[in-house]
Amino acid sequence: MGFRSTRLRKGEMTFSEKLWHISWTLILLVALVASVGFLMLFSAAEGNLSPWADKQMIRFGIGVVILLCLAMIDIRHFMRYAYAFYTVALVLLVAVEVKGTIGMGAQRWVDLGLFQLQPSELMKIALVLTLARYFHGADVDTVRRVSFLIPPALLIAMPVVLVLKQPDLGTAMMLMMGGVVLFLVAGVPLWMFFTVGGIGLGVVPIVWEMLRDYQKNRVLTFLDPDRDPLGSGYHITQSKIALGSGGVFGKGYMLGTQSHLDFLPEHQTDFIFTMLGEEFGMVGGVTLLGLYVLILAYGFYISARCRHHFGRLVAIGVTTTFFLYVFINIAMVMGLLPVVGIPLPLISYGGTAMMTLMIGFGVLMSVHVHRDVQISRSGGFDD
Amino acid sequence: MFSFLRRKPNTFFYPGEEIRSLRTPGATASHSKASQKAVQAGAAHKSLETGRARLIVTGGLFVLAYAAVAIRLIDVMVLKAEDRPIAERIAATTEVKPRRADIVDRNGVVLATNLPTVNLYVDSTKVIDPAEGADKLVSALPHLNRHDVLTKLSSGKRFVYLDRNLTPKEQAAVNAEGVPGVFFENSERRAYLQGPLLSHVLGATDPENNGIGGLELSFDQRLKQNPDPLRLSIDARVQFAVRSTLMKAVETFQAIGAMGLVLDVRTGEIISMVSLPDFDPESFGNSDPNTRFNRATLGVYEMGSTFKVFNTAMALESGQIRATDVYDTTSPLKIARFTINDDHPARYNLNVGEILIKSSNIGSARMAVQMGPTAQRKFLGEIGLLESAKIEVPENGFPLVPPVQNWKEIATMTISYGHGIAVTPVHLAKGLSAMVNGGVLRQPTLLLGNVQDGKRVIREETSATVRKLMRMVVTDGTARKADVPGYEVGGKTGTADKAAAGGYDTKRLLTTFAGAFPISDPKYLVIVSLDEPKPLKSTYGFATSGWNAAPTAGALIAEIGPILGVQPTSVDDLPKGGAGAQSVSLTSRVAAAVASVVPASYNKPRPPAPPRPTGETNAPR
Repeated sequence: MGFRSTRLRKGEMTFSEKLWHISWTLILLVALVASVGFLMLFSAAEGNLSPWADKQMIRFGIGVVILLCLAMIDIRHFMRYAYAFYTVALVLLVAVEVKGTIGMGAQRWVDLGLFQLQPSELMKIALVLTLARYFHGADVDTVRRVSFLIPPALLIAMPVVLVLKQPDLGTAMMLMMGGVVLFLVAGVPLWMFFTVGGIGLGVVPIVWEMLRDYQKNRVLTFLDPDRDPLGSGYHITQSKIALGSGGVFGKGYMLGTQSHLDFLPEHQTDFIFTMLGEEFGMVGGVTLLGLYVLILAYGFYISARCRHHFGRLVAIGVTTTFFLYVFINIAMVMGLLPVVGIPLPLISYGGTAMMTLMIGFGVLMSVHVHRDVQISRSGGFDD
Repeated sequence: MFSFLRRKPNTFFYPGEEIRSLRTPGATASHSKASQKAVQAGAAHKSLETGRARLIVTGGLFVLAYAAVAIRLIDVMVLKAEDRPIAERIAATTEVKPRRADIVDRNGVVLATNLPTVNLYVDSTKVIDPAEGADKLVSALPHLNRHDVLTKLSSGKRFVYLDRNLTPKEQAAVNAEGVPGVFFENSERRAYLQGPLLSHVLGATDPENNGIGGLELSFDQRLKQNPDPLRLSIDARVQFAVRSTLMKAVETFQAIGAMGLVLDVRTGEIISMVSLPDFDPESFGNSDPNTRFNRATLGVYEMGSTFKVFNTAMALESGQIRATDVYDTTSPLKIARFTINDDHPARYNLNVGEILIKSSNIGSARMAVQMGPTAQRKFLGEIGLLESAKIEVPENGFPLVPPVQNWKEIATMTISYGHGIAVTPVHLAKGLSAMVNGGVLRQPTLLLGNVQDGKRVIREETSATVRKLMRMVVTDGTARKADVPGYEVGGKTGTADKAAAGGYDTKRLLTTFAGAFPISDPKYLVIVSLDEPKPLKSTYGFATSGWNAAPTAGALIAEIGPILGVQPTSVDDLPKGGAGAQSVSLTSRVAAAVASVVPASYNKPRPPAPPRPTGETNAPR
């Protein structure tokens, strides 16, 4: 009974054993999606590697190394340092608030001299680890206590408020929804979700009445960009035009007129899915969605297969974060959700999101490698 | 050896379960293991099962969200949902929708094309203040009715047109007002660059650019599918000359309408087709319904004496009657209760040529009777006068002809001089061009290069004889005012009383001149008709064709001859020249003219026709 052997439970695995346990299929899938990204960035630069595709490849290479390194780290270390990561990320978020660099109209970056850091991205991973540690070992009766749930709610609320102030609605949404999913999987009674949700909905009309007309208009325009087709609705209108012009089979690689003629803004970052849709059509879009579904299925599998609560929560948290990236971005470019600036994971150009994702996959892989490790309530192996 | 068949001990554990059981004190005691497990099952299992269930719920939520995204993807990219903004639909369809093709004349002059234009529409769900919006729009576009605009702005509909075909100035004015919910739609407007010049040929389009008349209707699919210009046989320069000449004639002779046709007798191509009054195709909707009537193709008329050309050709072609045969034309022809009369009864008996030249109804009727009703119907049928002319415009008039059982002797007589049968001017042109072009009937067409194989209906010698006689109609007969020096016009006049309730109205006439030039080797056929021309002092109180249609045709030929590149000639081989010619009688000059064009063998009596079998069923097959 190898999977129940004490050696595995203790996490006493050799380096080569760990390598053997890594899910290389998942890494292959991730590399496949990233390659789609290289193709699209190559097209976005009119058939040039620079300025985007080459850098993205280097970043992905570094990302894979980070992923493998993290996969080797014992999952219990993540658990031990979870609160520390969270504290660091929170401090950095405050630092951004106090002394951040303004980019793209929002204050998101902190300059660390050598490189710029986006603490809200770090927070995505740190929050997952922290909540997973908090809920680790909590049984059904414990999670029913409201007093037990207040600290994690605060753990979510603090970064969300800070990120909202930047303002970065997309990331705030992701942190919030990722936290809610962890609450759900931890076994928090459903009536609590409905109660909080109901109160939230009940408050909306009251707040709405308190808003001034121009504020109402801004909210309405945010929710329905068609109200302002030349202003905030411009991106989404152009995006829908490009997608619609792609049709079933698309216009062909590097032949997308809407994106190449710069009707479509940000086509190498947030709106890269639109470009893919225009050039490869519905078939290309659905194929990419299929690849994402495979990665998500792996995440769920890893979560279900894990023998400790912490790992299960971490896996589902990382998977949820990945899912939210994909869902929010695609729903956004198709006009289902307001434009909030969430990149398409592994494909959009950009280093920070790539690093967040690869770190996330690294943690996920660590969960997979150490799935049989036994973790006590306090985080160690006790026999 | 059958161990693999035995049920194995339950080694399945929920994830994490084994850890908990290990932690329980005394779990190692084998005797209490089962009971301990049972106790464990409560809390731990519940927690774990909740966790698993929640995992599935989360996965289910993800699947739902993903399905929503996938459905939306298919909706945005493939299904062209109706409520999507116009701009998206345009971008999605621009490449597959070709613009309506141009229509050009035979020289490539653009007759109909499209102009980019904008339409104004409102998405009333996005209008913030309908009253204010209506005020602003009416101030920008004063021709709009404020009440209408207000109704449209508050209709709750997502797409209502406010105005079509805005000028750039109007568009700028509307833009400057900045009314929310009001949008422009790029559109195309059919532009007829020549105005009303070709109104009946081209027809018109509706606001959605669908053909609703003329060639725009009959070639609607062709114009929508094939972006190449549709090339007509019409020559815009000739069309302009014909139209302006006819307009002058309508004014001069106070006619209620006019019709002009120019046809290339060698190919059947229609070079010009004018029907007056006409309309401006760009404002077809506001035009007087009377102006929409195409007299050239849809109107059927009794063509009067111009039919005598057919009668003469038929008689000569039969071989039974020669151009020099003489008929009694001095006294009115009485048959049953009818009397056939001539305007100016001849003082002597005329030969066949003179009957045409002097336009004798009596002589024509006697010739027709000799040929018989069956032969007449067969001949007119052969030259296409008893069926639709099948010209490309959808407005094709069907000839009015006596039914076979009524096509007896009296009908034969009246038809010989163009009464009791009504055809369109296109029919007349089709038949006459075969009479003058050497005897080949061709389908008239409005398209360039659409020349079809002809069908021989009369012999070349017959055609040559008819041409000589038609020339003498102009030099010595009723159509002298149609002559144009150098262009050798040959033709025939016709004056028909218009049908009125219960008979003919002798005051309301349709006068026609049909002729060809140069008649010795005809290139173009010209037909001019005036509807109800009035007798004038300048015409000495006459309103017959020779006084109005013939001079109009003459003026027309003088104008279009140079445009069409017809070489003027001083040669006129008719045996008349000089003062001495006047002393020679018309009778002998007809004989001389005919003798000059036909070989002696032509008029040799033919062997009598073989007796026809009396019973169809016994007829040898």
